[in-house]
Amino acid sequence: MNPITTNRRHYEDLALGEAIDLGHVTVSKEMIIAFASEFDPFPFHLDEAAAKTSLLGGLAASGWQTAALSLRLLTDSFLSTIASMGGLGFSDLKWRKPVMVGDTIGGTVTIGALRRSRHHPERGIVTLEFDIRNQNAEPVMSMRLANLVELRDPSVPLTEAAE
Amino acid sequence: MTRWFEDIVVDEAFPLGSHTFSAQEIIRFGTLYDPQYFHVDPDAAGHSHFGSLVASGWHTVSVGHRKMVDALFAEEERLRALGKDPGVSGPSPGVNRMDFKAPVRPGDTVSYTLTVTGKRPSNSIPGWGLLFNQLDAVNQHGELVYHAELVGFSKLRDHRVPLRLKLLLALTKIPGLGKLLQPSR
Repeated sequence: MNPITTNRRHYEDLALGEAIDLGHVTVSKEMIIAFASEFDPFPFHLDEAAAKTSLLGGLAASGWQTAALSLRLLTDSFLSTIASMGGLGFSDLKWRKPVMVGDTIGGTVTIGALRRSRHHPERGIVTLEFDIRNQNAEPVMSMRLANLVELRDPSVPLTEAAE
Repeated sequence: MTRWFEDIVVDEAFPLGSHTFSAQEIIRFGTLYDPQYFHVDPDAAGHSHFGSLVASGWHTVSVGHRKMVDALFAEEERLRALGKDPGVSGPSPGVNRMDFKAPVRPGDTVSYTLTVTGKRPSNSIPGWGLLFNQLDAVNQHGELVYHAELVGFSKLRDHRVPLRLKLLLALTKIPGLGKLLQPSR
């Protein structure tokens, strides 16, 4: 028994189609430069003058920062409330529009699939569809994240849908 | 890579170097972006199936991205030192897939390798090409930490504006005639 997660929602408590409201976060120039200095030091993420002449058209957040901030919103609103066992990976991540200084991003994550692990009967896999938008409701990022969730009762037999 | 689109060799592997993850930086990244207990609290993490503190996958990936950017800048400098004109790499439209394979624990050293697996001119942005990149991260035991399939933009050296478009642009510069050729508002 894991004392950290015992009172949290488990795999059995999650429902297909459940929508999670992420809330939102405003991205400042200081946040953009701090992340870019450490992980993505291209001039178009660090310097306003250089950014103006780039494909992005102005100082914009690293796509990895947009993803990390979206994950932070999901951790606060969902992953820290369930018996999460960490991420398996993601697919179809699309940066649809740059996140510029002062933009507010947020959105919804929807449970797109739920399946049991074939090799680990105590584990389930939840597929989370991200729809991240800016303050003008324009899509800025989408992706499909696969996250492991512990089962409360692994003795329930697997169905054929398990992977 | 910071080469012109035309000069990028498909299937050439670029070692990007390695990074050793400290508990302190794992907790710092986790606190900012992924504060699940196994990324921020070493004691609580002992109760998880990982059995210890582990880095957020997004942290390992962000460091891998930094390694790639550093390699691009190094390649740019190398080409300049040879008296060549380096190319221009642009932002990324997305990631096709990312598989987190093995957890990264404090003290682990992760080595990164980039391979361009394909390229084609962009359909949506004239003058730019798309690169299909594969990034693999391996720990000090030779275990795959993650495998990524990424897409990036790279500028074409030999991009020419089509002749018909050039002619039209030239005609719009003739006084009087320019207005007639403008699309109606």
